[in-house]
Amino acid sequence: MIEVEHLSKTFRVQKKQPGFVGSLKGLFRRETVEKHAVRDVSFRVDEGEIVGLVGANGAGKTTLVKMLTGIVHPTSGQARVLGFDPWERDDRFRHQIALIMGQKSQLWWDLPAADCFLLLQEIYRIPEADFRARLDELAETLGVKTLLTTPIRRLSLGERMKMELVAALLHAPRVLFLDEPTIGLDIGAQRAIREFLLAYRERHRPAMILTSHYMEDIERLCKRLLVIRDGQLVYDGPLEQIVQKYALHKVVTAHLRRDGVAVAVPSFDGLGEVIETTPDLVRVRVPRARTAEAAARLLEGLPVADLAIEEVDIGTIVQRIFDERSGTRP
Amino acid sequence: MRPRLFLHVVGLEARKRLSYRFDFWIQALVSFAAELGIAWFLWQAIFHESGKTVIGGRTLDDMVLYYVAVILVAKLARGNLFAVAVASEIYDGGLNRYLVYPVPYLGFKLAQSLGTLLPATIQLFAFGAIFPFLVKGSLAHPTAASVAMGLVSILVAHVLYFVMQVCLEGVAFWADNVWSLNVALRLVSGLLGGIMIPLAAFPDAWQPVLAALPFRHVFSDPVEALLGQRTFLAWAGDLGVALAWTAAFTLVARWVFRRGSYAYTGVGI
Repeated sequence: MIEVEHLSKTFRVQKKQPGFVGSLKGLFRRETVEKHAVRDVSFRVDEGEIVGLVGANGAGKTTLVKMLTGIVHPTSGQARVLGFDPWERDDRFRHQIALIMGQKSQLWWDLPAADCFLLLQEIYRIPEADFRARLDELAETLGVKTLLTTPIRRLSLGERMKMELVAALLHAPRVLFLDEPTIGLDIGAQRAIREFLLAYRERHRPAMILTSHYMEDIERLCKRLLVIRDGQLVYDGPLEQIVQKYALHKVVTAHLRRDGVAVAVPSFDGLGEVIETTPDLVRVRVPRARTAEAAARLLEGLPVADLAIEEVDIGTIVQRIFDERSGTRP
Repeated sequence: MRPRLFLHVVGLEARKRLSYRFDFWIQALVSFAAELGIAWFLWQAIFHESGKTVIGGRTLDDMVLYYVAVILVAKLARGNLFAVAVASEIYDGGLNRYLVYPVPYLGFKLAQSLGTLLPATIQLFAFGAIFPFLVKGSLAHPTAASVAMGLVSILVAHVLYFVMQVCLEGVAFWADNVWSLNVALRLVSGLLGGIMIPLAAFPDAWQPVLAALPFRHVFSDPVEALLGQRTFLAWAGDLGVALAWTAAFTLVARWVFRRGSYAYTGVGI
């Protein structure tokens, strides 16, 4: 569905010297520098796949998405989405894709959502029966039915994002690009949108590319990860695989009963490392394969009220990949 | 662009504009009264001080009627200052949505621009109906046919001004904050198109220059057609020239957008 080969994008960015004198000089002459936003990126995405695209700010994620949606022309390389060159902006291509940008509304600010959706019905030529059925289903599932007559600018961020989702899915796109769809949302709204996207994927099987800084988005939604750094793809593979490779340990936390009796932490020599002890808890870092053994030792040796086993979060894993590639990994 | 979608966008934009009640009444009353007041006092003083009863082929009553007409026509021909907003959409990334949606951007913007004309159209008919009775000494004799010719000219004038504006605002692909170009177009077209001074009042040496520029087709021609001061043949000839200008600027606008899309960053890297 999406095939990307050696795609690159270089922007020419103007530099302006600071201060008043710099501003005056800038009126006559400005220095430009080249910014390599995306460098020689290749990958493919199949039907029904949700692929997570992660990287630091300015890594090139959004530029890559903009190229695949046809907003920006590449400097070199090729991409085919649904068999089309995106930047040719063929209407047959544009009828089958959707883009949601968390930081930039795709809807018309002054219009109520219902008017925006009617306009989109006209733009995408959606038959009336299909339009009504999809709008009912999407608005019901996302819980925004009562907000359809409210102007977009009067909605909360979470409500607006749900409306963006409705708008993006009305024409049943086969490829969906989600650029930071949960940015700035509270935990509840983030969870609602994640669950909605999972359910939608199950029912309709679109290909999705998701960029997010919230690692929970990636962990919950994506089985495959693309990690991008300084415009280059540094990892393309299963999420599980990098977890196995870069998250060699888990952290087991035992929350202790407070019955006033001092306790001695059992020895974890040869098994793991005690990383924190307080009167209330003990935290131990152990190899993934020996997690159960460590948990059993904690349960045997301590008055455990509760036990938690934590994975290393994906953000830390991505940072480790970056560190490894740049040779700074300790 | 499909006519059905085009009309949908026009209707949507018109409804939106009418919902801004404050803006509607300010535009309708304050700006109209201010512009007309300035012209009224200025020309009264000019006629009084010069001792002439006819200047540039117009009496004072004719001159006032011309200003009423040109102020109302200009509102329709130029449309709302912020309606097109091509430069700002390039600058802030609002253009992205039109590149993703299967719509022709310029057609969509033209439909939006036409939709913003509804308040000005109401004003044209409201004020335009009253003024001929107030200015009884005028030599102008609008008829149903002249009004029809005028309305067609205004529609073409709007499209012509729109494409000129789009060509200039397209500079935003290469330079930030080009809003001043839009203001410059307003001033230059207003001066050379007959808003500030009727074209007949310009010196004779200027007349060939004014005739060769597109601006007269935006303001002066529709006003004269509306007031019944053009024969059908003269009107049709001018309309043909206006359409040719429109076609030429449309080609330039399409070229600007095709080239500009290579430079477009979608804002933020």
